[in-house]
Amino acid sequence: MSNPLHKKHDFIERSILSALAFLKDATMSEEYANRKGFLQSLDPRFKTISFLAFLVTAVSLKSAVLISPLYLSCLILALLSRIHLRNFLLRTLFFIPLFSLCIVLPTMFSVVTPGEPVWSFHVAWITGIITRPGLDGAVLFVVRIATSVSLVVLLSLTTRHSELLKVLRVFGVPQVFVMTVSMCYRYLYLFATMVENIFTAVKSRVGMVSHHRQGQSIVTWNIANTWNRTTQMSEEVYMAMLSRGYTGEPRLLSKFHATPKDWLWLLCAVVICAFLFYRGHTL
Amino acid sequence: MHIPDGYLSPATCGVFGAVMIPIWTAASRAVKKTLSVRQVPYLAIGAAFSFVIMMFNVPILGGSSGHAVGGVLVAILLGPWAACIAVTVALVIQALLFGDGGITAIGANCFNMAFVLPFVGYYVYKLISSNSPSGSVRRVIAAGAGAYVGICVAALSAGIEFGLQPLLYHTANGQALYCPYGLNVAVPAMVLGHLVVFGWVEVIVTALVVKYLQKQDSVFFEGGRS
Repeated sequence: MSNPLHKKHDFIERSILSALAFLKDATMSEEYANRKGFLQSLDPRFKTISFLAFLVTAVSLKSAVLISPLYLSCLILALLSRIHLRNFLLRTLFFIPLFSLCIVLPTMFSVVTPGEPVWSFHVAWITGIITRPGLDGAVLFVVRIATSVSLVVLLSLTTRHSELLKVLRVFGVPQVFVMTVSMCYRYLYLFATMVENIFTAVKSRVGMVSHHRQGQSIVTWNIANTWNRTTQMSEEVYMAMLSRGYTGEPRLLSKFHATPKDWLWLLCAVVICAFLFYRGHTL
Repeated sequence: MHIPDGYLSPATCGVFGAVMIPIWTAASRAVKKTLSVRQVPYLAIGAAFSFVIMMFNVPILGGSSGHAVGGVLVAILLGPWAACIAVTVALVIQALLFGDGGITAIGANCFNMAFVLPFVGYYVYKLISSNSPSGSVRRVIAAGAGAYVGICVAALSAGIEFGLQPLLYHTANGQALYCPYGLNVAVPAMVLGHLVVFGWVEVIVTALVVKYLQKQDSVFFEGGRS
């Protein structure tokens, strides 16, 4: 049975967990990115371009059979990159693919998608009929989403986040935007820690939140307070930037070096995508 | 409201990416005009703030809790063009680094949450608050109304994007290739949830934060950045 007092503190726990989840994800990514594995050894620019090509291929293909090799490749690449497979599967299969499966379940039945029946069952007075087009559509939808999520998570886990943001320059994203993204990312750590501290303090000092309105008041006051700290901080950050020689034109340091291995990897990626597209057309 | 990869067709993603390019260009120009060099970190930290708002869980009726998107709040605090950039930055970080929201769907996500949400919300706020005094209750109500209308219109936009998929992209035997539900299911599913639950979380956060900021620094709302 749920404890009503615990429920009143649900928002505090969940806020602490949100902040901790961000910090945990970010720390875990940095830890994996620093390991000596296959994907970690590739130039971030080549890796990002190849993964985007895989992603576009996965999203464009209209057959689960053709998308499945990309998913299997993700698992193999995860192992070659020394990523703990259980953690990887937990992170990629739970939430988005599972949520998508729940969304798509009703479309498997003849009521939503008529067609050739593949399986029927009776529960009480209800007869459920799963149809071929319904099942095919659902499998395609879930496999495509699981593959897309796996590709993005794999890229994010095997590349230092600061480098992944710098790669945006390769795609012609203006320097000022890349600088804003990079600065924003750095301050997220600070803000996430701030949120965790705020709610830990609330938890230890408030004792008991008697009404949801009191809880709303606490949360919104803290958001307003965070905003005030934000404006104060921006002034200090600007002064720090000036002291480091900022003149209004941002400059990003880039230390990317392409090797023959990167070119070979890119060539393989292009060949695989081209082959899958070709098979997709001929199927 | 974050659309993951695979829910929208590549063509739909391409269209929204193309639609967002002139919006981002206009936003960069507008921000360059209104924000000085001094305020570049302000924009970055504002983007971090819009990311962090989602970490604050707000208690709602029945002991449960939810989080706000905060797009309209950021638009009221920074102005709609700066909010467009700040929310875009937050969405890019979420999609690229944390796999939350699709990379191919980044254009559609930015259209809904970095364009429709802050702009609709901000102009509803401006319309209702008009020239009311900075510390007035009318501004608090205007902020709440802006947040509610903004998030519901953004949800409607996402619902239409989902609902168009089976109409436009299906096999010869009618099997949907992307989001499988048409407009008759996708639009009510997206809009009702926001009208009944999520919209009110947005109202609570936006209105109460504006109320607290009024108390702390009412000058901010007098022709400041908003």
